[in-house]
Amino acid sequence: MSPIPGHGLAKGLAVTLRTMTRRTVTQQYPETLPELPPRSRGVIGLFEENCTVCMLCARECPDWCIYIDSHKETTPAAAPGGRERSRNVLDRFAIDFSLCMYCGICIEVCPFDALFWSPEFEYAETDIRELTHERDTLREWMWTVPPPPALDPAAEEPKELAAARKSVDKLAAEARVAVQAPPAPAAQPASAAQPAKGATAATDANTKDATDPKDATAAKDATEPKDDKGPKDDKGGERP
Amino acid sequence: MNLAVASHPGFLSPTGVEITFVLVGLITLGAALVTVTTKQLVHAALWLVVALGGLAVEYLLLTAEFIAWVQVLIYVGSVVVLLLFGLMMTKAPIGRSPDADSDNRWTALAVAVLAAATLVWVVVDAFRSTWVSLGGAAQGSTEVTGEFLFRQWVLPFEALSVLLLAALVGAIVLSRRDSRER
Amino acid sequence: MNPTLDMVLRAVGVLVVFMVLPLTVGQAEHKVMAHMQGRLGPMYAGGFHGWAQLVADGVKFVQKEDIVPTGADRRVFQLAPVVALLPYLVVLIAIPVGPHGFVGATVDAGLFFVLAMMGVGVLGSLMAGWASANKFSLLGALRSAAQLMAYELPMLLAAASVAMAAGTVSLPGLLSAFHWWWIPWQLVGGLVFFTAGLAELQRPPFDMPVADSEIIFGAYTEYTGLRFALFLLAEYAGIVVLCALTSVLYLGGWHGPWSGSVGWLWTLVKTGLLAFVVIWLRVSYPRLREDQLQKFAWTVLIPLSLLQIALTGIVKVVIS
Repeated sequence: MSPIPGHGLAKGLAVTLRTMTRRTVTQQYPETLPELPPRSRGVIGLFEENCTVCMLCARECPDWCIYIDSHKETTPAAAPGGRERSRNVLDRFAIDFSLCMYCGICIEVCPFDALFWSPEFEYAETDIRELTHERDTLREWMWTVPPPPALDPAAEEPKELAAARKSVDKLAAEARVAVQAPPAPAAQPASAAQPAKGATAATDANTKDATDPKDATAAKDATEPKDDKGPKDDKGGERP
Repeated sequence: MNLAVASHPGFLSPTGVEITFVLVGLITLGAALVTVTTKQLVHAALWLVVALGGLAVEYLLLTAEFIAWVQVLIYVGSVVVLLLFGLMMTKAPIGRSPDADSDNRWTALAVAVLAAATLVWVVVDAFRSTWVSLGGAAQGSTEVTGEFLFRQWVLPFEALSVLLLAALVGAIVLSRRDSRER
Repeated sequence: MNPTLDMVLRAVGVLVVFMVLPLTVGQAEHKVMAHMQGRLGPMYAGGFHGWAQLVADGVKFVQKEDIVPTGADRRVFQLAPVVALLPYLVVLIAIPVGPHGFVGATVDAGLFFVLAMMGVGVLGSLMAGWASANKFSLLGALRSAAQLMAYELPMLLAAASVAMAAGTVSLPGLLSAFHWWWIPWQLVGGLVFFTAGLAELQRPPFDMPVADSEIIFGAYTEYTGLRFALFLLAEYAGIVVLCALTSVLYLGGWHGPWSGSVGWLWTLVKTGLLAFVVIWLRVSYPRLREDQLQKFAWTVLIPLSLLQIALTGIVKVVIS
């Protein structure tokens, strides 16, 4: 209890008066658009160049709102006598946003970084059937995907970077052992060069992984190496 | 009536004030009659408002301004509101109440006529030989009323106010004791 | 000047004030309440910060259908909004705005006139509540009648204290007798008067008769369109009247620096500040219960106003 009667009443008045002098929290929405953080669950964008029609997203979707059609194309063998390669070509990729519950499982599950959260949210329609958006619309939404936020200064290293560093360290340690074991001084420059080469190779391999999986721009940068890598991975085992 | 004529230099002609007085009087009388004859309970209370308001206008026309406003304040503003409050508590229906008629209406009429006759007789008898000078200030203004009240009638006024104050203090004491016992 | 023309001009002036000031208070309530709750309030109507919101509301109300419920008492139902609104218009006539006869009409017993007329306004909500044939309306009407028993007496007693101090019940006469030290002298009476006035206007924290979370909208539940708007207008006109009256009775009305030339501005400023307080209280406090108001009035307000009268009497005797 307060010593002065009416103390509580004055306190109540003070609270409202103080609020009045502060800035309001209202956002004048249609005039000023909200500044949504990256990865806001607005809409799902498709980076179709990355899609390999692996169907994981469609299969993992809890409410089956992703429709994918594709066909196989064969490309003739690059070298004479080689086998001709087949690859999946995306015919249709559609997400029915009237079913989608924005769980983001498709984005989590995509192994090739083809799906991204975009903060874009103004896609209301007057007909529910128009909420099924095809690949061209989904591709357009890719342009609205912002770069991922920077990590906290004291944050743990991303897994990809940690893995790369680990392999580099391992190579470096091996090289050091190699240097110490054979006492021949002539071998030193060569072996010194080797771990360095190994390190660059490791970072090269991880350029794509090192960046955040949902980084659209980085993903775009990584498109070409990945496209090269994709078929290679597919065909790796088959190659004679 | 003559009083109003003499001291009211308004744009209404003297006859105008008299005509207004009579008209308002008729309205007041009509409203009062409807009040006691209507079978719709709440309507009776509302017609009472009209009658009391008409009376206030009559006071006003007689330049008894202070009395007029007190009439509105006490009767229209408070007494009728209390009356309506009571009526609403009794679930007064909308429309006619067939059982609103009373069997002793003739007795009531007789009592009313008797009371009115008594009042008229008393007033006429009391002021039979009193002459009002029309030349002076308005006899009903606040200042004159106040002087009358506090020069000639101080004792009754004080007795009344002490009585009312006692009632008031009693009400406060009652409401306080009630809260402490809980 | 021709007295008839003079009277017509004054009447028109009062009417203009009556149309403009309540809307201004309503708009201020929209904005002040919004900002006190961290919002912006109306922003679109009229372009600049929604200044025309209430005009737009009025247009909307005019367009709406005027419905009278089947079971309602038609005449009384239709008459009620007028009974609620008209007294406040009449009261405005008697409130002095500035010195040298800057008043709608000089009423000899102005204080009584004003208080009497304000009391009549309650009849409007009683009529509305009973005639609606709706139990919520009836409850609202019962509550406003019960409320009247709580606020009427302290209000009159507090006003009587000022009349004692000035030795007159005429509002302009009261103002010409005013000195600055009346403000501390009549402070308690002013607080009681203002609080009781809030209860009379059914403004939060004393809005039990319209308590929208309990009895929908009290006596006004069944009203639509223009008649509903009239009730709302009556509420805001009531705020203007109460604030103007409080500033005249307790804050010296047009008194202030350079009151000879800008006296009317002082009245407006004081009225506006009090109106702000009315809005402020609405935002800050929750609603009381009817019995809490009764207890508050009988155990706090009436003793305080009696004390104020005693104090006024003592000081009056000492200085004379």
